[in-house]
Amino acid sequence: MLNEIEQNRKERQSAWEYVINYFRKRSIWLLHYCTGCGAVELPPVMTSRWDLERFGVGPMATPRQADVFLVTGYASIKTLKRMIRTYEQMPKPRWVIGFGACTINGGIYYKSYNVINKLDRYIPVDIFISGCMPRPEAILAALEELRNMIQRGEAKGYDRYVKNYDWYKKNQKEILEREGSLFGEADDENK
Amino acid sequence: MKTSDILNKTKELFPYISTELFEEQQGRIKVDNERFLNVLAYLRNSSFVHLANIFAVDWIEEKEFELNYNLWSYDHNSSIIVKVGIPREKPEVTTVLDLWEHGQVYEQEIHEFFGIEFAGNPDLSPLFLHNWKEIPPMRKDFDTEEYSKRAFDVGEREGAK
Repeated sequence: MLNEIEQNRKERQSAWEYVINYFRKRSIWLLHYCTGCGAVELPPVMTSRWDLERFGVGPMATPRQADVFLVTGYASIKTLKRMIRTYEQMPKPRWVIGFGACTINGGIYYKSYNVINKLDRYIPVDIFISGCMPRPEAILAALEELRNMIQRGEAKGYDRYVKNYDWYKKNQKEILEREGSLFGEADDENK
Repeated sequence: MKTSDILNKTKELFPYISTELFEEQQGRIKVDNERFLNVLAYLRNSSFVHLANIFAVDWIEEKEFELNYNLWSYDHNSSIIVKVGIPREKPEVTTVLDLWEHGQVYEQEIHEFFGIEFAGNPDLSPLFLHNWKEIPPMRKDFDTEEYSKRAFDVGEREGAK
């Protein structure tokens, strides 16, 4: 059994990668940046009741030294602009957790004119947490799963961003730098 | 001075307004959009120094926007809402910046979300919306669901693998 696991691992990654991933997953710094209402779930996760630090995860103040970007809830268009900037400032390897229903399909804001619906179109998300709001246990479960994905070498959102850079940039531009109305000229005359 | 007395006195001075005592401490005044500044200036000078809020309502079937000025008097502990109807085709009113300086943000916001022009306000630049190209979003004839579909739901994630 153990040999089989060892064999599978060797097919996927070299021993050197295995060691790197082993250490990476044990020192995760969460970027201390919160959008939307999901931010209220983080203080209990980080303080004594759920105690995030026992997993080696701690908050980090600057994007330059952070590993995980936790998008906690809805992102308005102005926020999206700052999020892209923050994400691009983070060094590789970097991971994104989409937190709550709003990052998956807009959640209760899916009709809103000012809130994006699918976060994955603009920055690559490694793992989503469903729910509105997700409980602290869900955050811990997601972090645990992310740690396992890092160990297996599966969390490659940052590679996806580089490979599909044009696609992501096109989607971002569609929103941030759009020219002209979406409804055409006929609707403009009702002004 | 009770709110009802204030309303009666205002009615005596400006016979063209209609007043309504909503609660013991809250009154409403409805006035047309050409003479509303007289009423506001009078209230401002008779201790209604606090403009708590300005908000707009889009009555699309009556074809008018309604501006509501929430005033508060610390001396009489009473609140008065001044309602001003303005036509939807030409939404323009005079600014109240000369009476309440802090009305700036409220007017800026209403201009952004309803497209109402405030004549005399020097700065009506956008506050919240980024790169907005449509009709103002809080108008009732703006279809926010359709906009959301066209702007944010286009295509599937075929590009990223």
